[in-house]
Amino acid sequence: MLDDREHDQLTVALGRDPTETELHIVGAMWSERRSYKSSRRWFQLFKTDGERVVLGLGGGAGLVDLGDDVILGISLESNNHPFQLNPYSGAASGVAGVISDVISHGCRPVGLMNCLRFGSPQKAKNAKNLGDAARGISDFANSVGIPMVGGELEFDQSFERNSLFNVACIGVTETDKIVRGVVSSPGDSLILFGAKTANERLVAPSKEATPTGSPLAKRVLIDTLEQLLEGRYLSGLKDLGGGGLASACAKLAAEGNLGFEILVEKVPLEEDDIQPIDILLSESQDRMLAVVTPQNLENVLGILGENNVPHAVIGEVTDDNMLTMHYYVDEIAKIPVVLLVSGFPEPERREEYLPERTASTAWLMEPKDHSKVLLSLLQSVNISSREWLYSQFDQHIQGNTLVDAGENAGVLELPKGKRVAFTAACNSTWCLLDPFIGAANSAALALRNIVSMGAEPILIADCLNLGNPERPEPYAQFVETARGIGEFSHHFDIPVVTGNVSPYNEAEVEGAVSRINPTPQIIMAGALGQGRLPLRRNLCTPWANVFLVGETHRELNGTEFQRFQLGAVEGIPPGYQPEVEKKTMNAVLSAIEKGLVRSCNNIGRGGLGVALLKMVIRGDYGFRLDISDVPGTAKTQSDILYSESSARYIVEVTETKQPEFLETMNQHAVPVCELGLTMAEPKASFGSFVIDREDAQKSYEKGLRRYMKK
Amino acid sequence: MTIAIVKFPGTNSEKDVLRALQAIPDAEPQIVLSRQDPALLLQADGVIIPGGLSYGDYVRANAAAAIDDMRDVVREIADSGRPMLGIGNGFQILSEFKILPGSLRPNKSGRFVSKWVYLRVCENPTSFTEGLEGKIVRIPVAHSEGRYQVGKKRLEKLNNSHEVVLRYCDVDGEITSDANPNGSIENIAGVVSENGNVLGLMPHPERAVRGEAGSNDGLLILENFVRTTLDR
Repeated sequence: MLDDREHDQLTVALGRDPTETELHIVGAMWSERRSYKSSRRWFQLFKTDGERVVLGLGGGAGLVDLGDDVILGISLESNNHPFQLNPYSGAASGVAGVISDVISHGCRPVGLMNCLRFGSPQKAKNAKNLGDAARGISDFANSVGIPMVGGELEFDQSFERNSLFNVACIGVTETDKIVRGVVSSPGDSLILFGAKTANERLVAPSKEATPTGSPLAKRVLIDTLEQLLEGRYLSGLKDLGGGGLASACAKLAAEGNLGFEILVEKVPLEEDDIQPIDILLSESQDRMLAVVTPQNLENVLGILGENNVPHAVIGEVTDDNMLTMHYYVDEIAKIPVVLLVSGFPEPERREEYLPERTASTAWLMEPKDHSKVLLSLLQSVNISSREWLYSQFDQHIQGNTLVDAGENAGVLELPKGKRVAFTAACNSTWCLLDPFIGAANSAALALRNIVSMGAEPILIADCLNLGNPERPEPYAQFVETARGIGEFSHHFDIPVVTGNVSPYNEAEVEGAVSRINPTPQIIMAGALGQGRLPLRRNLCTPWANVFLVGETHRELNGTEFQRFQLGAVEGIPPGYQPEVEKKTMNAVLSAIEKGLVRSCNNIGRGGLGVALLKMVIRGDYGFRLDISDVPGTAKTQSDILYSESSARYIVEVTETKQPEFLETMNQHAVPVCELGLTMAEPKASFGSFVIDREDAQKSYEKGLRRYMKK
Repeated sequence: MTIAIVKFPGTNSEKDVLRALQAIPDAEPQIVLSRQDPALLLQADGVIIPGGLSYGDYVRANAAAAIDDMRDVVREIADSGRPMLGIGNGFQILSEFKILPGSLRPNKSGRFVSKWVYLRVCENPTSFTEGLEGKIVRIPVAHSEGRYQVGKKRLEKLNNSHEVVLRYCDVDGEITSDANPNGSIENIAGVVSENGNVLGLMPHPERAVRGEAGSNDGLLILENFVRTTLDR
């Protein structure tokens, strides 16, 4: 609800006392969730424009031109609070909502990604929540028929009281089918269609009331919408999400610089006795609001009728820039559109200095048995195989999946041979220790995931999950993560095309605040050159050379190794090195483009040792390496094996391509060292110790599975 | 019209099947909506029922009637000897209609399963598997209700009369329980009707039609289906 300052501003702007209905509508529109009132002042830090950007930050979805009239749409949403209360329905309703964002821009949904965060799965409750979430996503997404392309799963104590669910939908369309803005004139009809409206207003989310909708209704809506778009019958379109019909009307009218007059009693209802304000703010799923000109009206009504989609003309477009709501004879609200969407007073927010961290590694004890440590890392919950989760999602429906979930990125083949890689990354541990470095380095990790597939990054979608912005510390964390993503997007010239902010992810437990790690979820997409197939990380040939590209520094704070040895994370996390990262990216992409690379992996969580083992676990080959000396300041075995320094890749190159590969690295002035050779025997030999593939595989596979039922 | 692809509300693989068939010369596939005149289906030379919601989901969504309305027409097509293919939950619909024996129950794991599987094709010739007899093919599955169950006597008959066309196996062709993604009895993944014109299978051949996307083994089955349809 409105605070005093907001109430005053509303009264002054209206020139009278607001009606009860107006207070509710404005309360919803000016909420943090709808208005981004604490956060949007920082979006200017992001690079948002770019050659390919068709629709950038600010819309419900970002649209990017892939060339040859193929337009990629992407939306990233959070559904954290409903998810925390009920993981099954929270996950399903999150998926339902994000699909709507993408289809309401005229896109056909072709992929989904989900990013989940929980407390440790060792606790039965958290494992159960993960299982429920998987079922919720699976029941909805699989039935609607959209493949899961990838995602992320992270466990940390900080998510115990506030588990996170971020979900992205990917769509495609063509230039002249994009629905963007509204081209309309007074007298055009407003048609509400899709599911009927139920009494599903979210005042405070409750366990029972998260509107999920049904996959069947969503499927019918997608198919009907495709017919409507095919005929170019819609002059404007908006999905009904948070804030329901009231919010959709306000946003659509604002986009078209129009006014709307709505007859609330015309809205098709699921149940009889719903109060007008509840109709206006209901968040029932699977509903769309369309603007239709008189000449298209008959066709639109015809298509909706033949598909048995509930619908009604609920009002018309006016030229007074007001949102006017009638309920039978009464005028229950009349508010200037601009006041609704941006008339709120910006709240004051205070930042606090965040704690200083140290670079000390006094905690470190050089392990005696590195093979034991590596197997433990492979088995640790933030590194181990996610197959238990991803096998529950349909990955192949629609027949466009070139690379399944489980590699560095999933790859879809979109129309006209456009191959695009998608990855999700956020290391919330780094972000806790230093939100700026953590956010920028999470984006860099996403970048390396994309590059190691042989693709060139083209867009960022972000979702900033944080604590209460009214408190100085979480607000400072938020600002720092926004700054991290902002600087990254400018350094690498990759636009942020869509985003979301999820505040208030904290709980008070016995007087103490339990707050999530700042979690700036990054999703990145990258384009593969026409006709190019994605690389994978499995070693492909025996007797090929294994190279380490980039410098390894003594950066062990904030790493999985530190968590393993110390049982906690502390200190300054691995540094963000934009210039080095960019040079390395260009070198690796250039080598891949020249066809010099057989397989490639980037180095992330767990460091070099884990990254090398992942190249063996699911493949047919092993390697024999000498890792006693590598470029950079890392000197001890621990430094070399476990440092999570950024800007590094492992690359497999066959003997004959070696000179050209080294020359390419040289041209880009990127340090490179030969670690050794691949071999036919599936063993990982690090020189002083050897790990059998079987053992690595076992640890990797059981890491998560051991906590899940059956 | 040559091949009809039936779309119920909630069917979600019809376009995948359409696209896969369009790549086969002379196939002339067409999507037929279940709410259209069922007689339209009778004009087709071959019929495919693609995957979508599982039968249980239809029941939960009170939409099973849309399927039941088609029962008589589908039965008539099966009896006429025209080729018919039920893929994924399309297989489930054929078994619900008692056109194919057995039933498809929720997976043993209790979870949806999406993965690439290996399948051993039966030695005995069928029109759908010409050229694949005894071979191992790779095709993805994606279902929550794919656990094939059938009575002991019927199973014996299925085996004796070579009506089991596909079984889940490992990469070497061994029929192991590890290779069984859903707990199906005797690793059964696909069965053919007594008179050989109706095939039901849980794996999705339409998702295995391009080598660069994993395998084109599914295309071979679809090509056989098209050829059989055209031969009639």
